[in-house]
Amino acid sequence: MAKIIKASTGLTGLAVSTNPHHTLSALYGKILRAVSKMPQDASYRKYTEQLVKQRADSVAQHKDITALEKAVGCGQVEELIVQAENELILARKMLGWKPWEKLVQAAPAKQWDWPPAQIMEPKV
Amino acid sequence: MAGREAVKRAVQQVRPILSVDREEARKRALNLYKAWYRQIPYIVMDYDIPMTVEQCRDKLREEFVKHRNVTDIRVIDMLVIKGQMELKESVEIWKQKGHIMRYWKESQDPKPTDFLSKFIQGVN
Amino acid sequence: MAALIRNLGARAAVAALSAKHVVPAAGSTALRMASTTPVEPKKADKPTVRQPDAVARSHLSDFGRYVAECLPKYVQKVQLTAGDELEVLIAPEGVVPVLQFLKDHHQAQFTNLVDIAGVDVPCRKNRFEVVYNLLSLRYNSRIRVKTYTDELTPLDSACEVHKAANWYEREIWDMYGVFFANHPDLRRILTDYGFEGHPQRRDFPLSGYVELRYDDEKKRVVCEPLELAQEFRKFDLSAPWEQFPNFRNANPPAEVVPPQAPAKK
Repeated sequence: MAKIIKASTGLTGLAVSTNPHHTLSALYGKILRAVSKMPQDASYRKYTEQLVKQRADSVAQHKDITALEKAVGCGQVEELIVQAENELILARKMLGWKPWEKLVQAAPAKQWDWPPAQIMEPKV
Repeated sequence: MAGREAVKRAVQQVRPILSVDREEARKRALNLYKAWYRQIPYIVMDYDIPMTVEQCRDKLREEFVKHRNVTDIRVIDMLVIKGQMELKESVEIWKQKGHIMRYWKESQDPKPTDFLSKFIQGVN
Repeated sequence: MAALIRNLGARAAVAALSAKHVVPAAGSTALRMASTTPVEPKKADKPTVRQPDAVARSHLSDFGRYVAECLPKYVQKVQLTAGDELEVLIAPEGVVPVLQFLKDHHQAQFTNLVDIAGVDVPCRKNRFEVVYNLLSLRYNSRIRVKTYTDELTPLDSACEVHKAANWYEREIWDMYGVFFANHPDLRRILTDYGFEGHPQRRDFPLSGYVELRYDDEKKRVVCEPLELAQEFRKFDLSAPWEQFPNFRNANPPAEVVPPQAPAKK
């Protein structure tokens, strides 16, 4: 059976994926759909779309799993699936947090000054 | 009107710990008191302390009355949280007999106040 | 008289000749001098001081800029400390989003929470700093996330993002009294039951407030307020002279990463 190329990923708790191309393309599609609900100028959307599209392209191009792993260069294909799952969860949470808005609260004056001995004013 | 709005904004700026208004904080404090009150017989029995249930309830009341002048809702919440933790420690028998008896401070002599007893004890 | 003048002229000629003769000699000494001039002194390198890697620094500041660009709502400041340690300073509302982003984003993958630390600076309005140290095994890189709070403002618990945060947050609650909202099991972890106060606060005395001893009559440990034989004295330890004049104009300990990349030629 040539389909299963390896017996184990070598990582605890990470099982060998039987059909990684299908899983990955489905996950990347979901990420792109989640991200597309964000405003156009959000940097997070821009960068994630760019990266996910790049990876989806590699998945479409390389039918061989070893070639795909080499083309993406970010670990085994099972790890890529885990990363995509995480990104999907993050993207969905980001829709609620809306981190592209302006700064929620500016730092109080002298909050980040260091060393603190230079702060002379007493506490209010 | 503007003053009231300013007050509202000032109130909104701080993040509540648990309660949003005074009534809720009061209810939490009362609930904590009731929980302690009901647990006292079991605490007396489990720890085998040389105190009656009535004495313990007097002590409970004393501990609550100690903080009767607290008005800040967040301070009340913080005290309630600490009381809750203490109750759990007592009920789960994580404490020992000595920890429970610490509330009565029986090994501490009251500080001398008048001149003669101060003189006899050699403190000034 | 004429003979005298001639004689003088002859002497002058001799002098001129001898002077002409001297020139090559002067040239040779100049050459010798040039060969012995001291070479440019080598910069004193300190083998014990670690020099930060310029490439790593630029990567880190690029990544800091990337984080600030992706999360403008929460990131207040990005800085590099100690040469090559990236710090992201965030508003207290953004603890969970920023940690989740750093954990789950493809480019970050800071999946390992190394430590959570607290800092108490009583002269500030928000006196407590909470510091999250993160490690990315994928990219072999570390990042530090800092936020602030005061005695009564709760911070969001990072437990839902990192399981490891559970005990670290309990420790901070115990040592500093910073309350973490939505923590699954917030209770004391280091101090004894019945202990009052938070020992790592700067206003907590070094000796504590109480002392414990075994009471022979009661057959158990009793707790008594601590009495010091001598009243606490305030010592002024600052010296009247300047101790480190060489460091008067030293580099600041942290350098801010500007939000925009410097223009490239």
